[in-house]
Amino acid sequence: MTRSTKRLMPIPGLDKADEQTMAMIVALTSEVTVLRARLDAFERIAEAAGLVSRADIDAFTPGPEADVERAAQRRRTLSRVFRALREAGEADLAAQQAV
Amino acid sequence: MNAPHPMIPEPSHDEMAEQLFVRDLKLFVMGDLEPVQREMAMQVADAVDVRATNDPVGNLRSEMMERPSFRQWLGLRRESQRLLWDVVGDSLDRRAGELAQRAAIAEPKGSVRTNPDFRAPGYLVDGDVHLMPGGYEADPGEGSVAQGALMDRGGAIYMLGRNGGYLNDFRGQTAMAHVLTCYPDLDPKRIVELGCGVGSSTAPAAACFPDAEVHGVDVGASMLRYAHARSERLGVAVHYSQQNAESTDFPDGSFDLVYTCAVLHETSQSAVINILKESRRLLRPGGVAVHLEVPLLMTIGSLWDELSAELEADYNNEPYWRGALTADYEALMRTAGFAEVRTGYQRASMGAARDANLHFGPDSEGVFRSWFVASGRA
Repeated sequence: MTRSTKRLMPIPGLDKADEQTMAMIVALTSEVTVLRARLDAFERIAEAAGLVSRADIDAFTPGPEADVERAAQRRRTLSRVFRALREAGEADLAAQQAV
Repeated sequence: MNAPHPMIPEPSHDEMAEQLFVRDLKLFVMGDLEPVQREMAMQVADAVDVRATNDPVGNLRSEMMERPSFRQWLGLRRESQRLLWDVVGDSLDRRAGELAQRAAIAEPKGSVRTNPDFRAPGYLVDGDVHLMPGGYEADPGEGSVAQGALMDRGGAIYMLGRNGGYLNDFRGQTAMAHVLTCYPDLDPKRIVELGCGVGSSTAPAAACFPDAEVHGVDVGASMLRYAHARSERLGVAVHYSQQNAESTDFPDGSFDLVYTCAVLHETSQSAVINILKESRRLLRPGGVAVHLEVPLLMTIGSLWDELSAELEADYNNEPYWRGALTADYEALMRTAGFAEVRTGYQRASMGAARDANLHFGPDSEGVFRSWFVASGRA
């Protein structure tokens, strides 16, 4: 299922590269905001229940299974944040193929 | 990537997450963004017929630079490298005390000799190789090992775990494997590595030839203090000294084996000639020099690989790359006075050199799978 929008009107004077940069920063900010909120919720609930302290979190070492899941999560984040660059490359390639 | 390192403090949960992020960002830039640019470049090369011009790579490069996505990809590639040093540097700053503690060795088996009046050659001072802030020569002073730690940890992440994980020692192991392959009778008692950096390729020599006295030479005091502490922590005795590899203070003929690992492509053209000459001067009659390098340009393959390497040279500060990887090492070695000169590819040793699958032949087996070697006897 495609994630690209057909027909995006150009904004006069806005450089394509600037547009991509903005897209990435927006996506990144969104990722970080969601992450912060999730972490904040978790820490409040866990602390209230007497489950963990900050020291526990700092000392945490993920096991092999967690390593695999975390790696997949990092790849998902990268793919989302830099989507604009991937699409730009594909669009330039398509334009080249049409030559 | 999670293997403990004997010298670098273990990163905290968040530092580790940051470092893994940088590694994955680099993999993403290489694996997800680059293939599209490569495909486009190959089509552009055909459409514009750049191969028919007298500068195919230069022409392809200006064509590609017209495309915003190419510029963005290039920008992100450089940014990922800058982020790498940033992240590792921050982590080491936070752990400076712990790092200094680990660097303090009670009864060292090896040694480190620094020289406060030493000036690194201009070609290294003019630009920070690999964009590493401070380059090879920076010294925060007061016995600091920070610059070496930065290079060691950053280098391991930069290699994406393809070159021996945190030990980053495959090059040194492969250089030793070359000695075992082509000079099995040598059994060196005195060995020196020129341009040893943090000693990641020096330790393999000490491990392969445990009876030998091993030396390492490079330009940065902080890097060498770190290299010394690192070697001690790995349990090998190495004597490090701060000198220019073009003209060391060791007497003529004082070594059985002199070697370099991926040093020549970071040095100026005159330095390459001088280092080869110096490696000859340092050898006793019948001694061996081994100069190991990344694959030479003519074996690199496609126009894209060549362009990509050009970009690396320009945007990752490796300005001498092209000259060093197009040189005629056979001729250079003979000019430097070597006999029995060999040039070719040594199969990478993925562990101890003595356990390696020993193979030396004319063809590259690919990046990281084999290394170019020029060797000869004095």
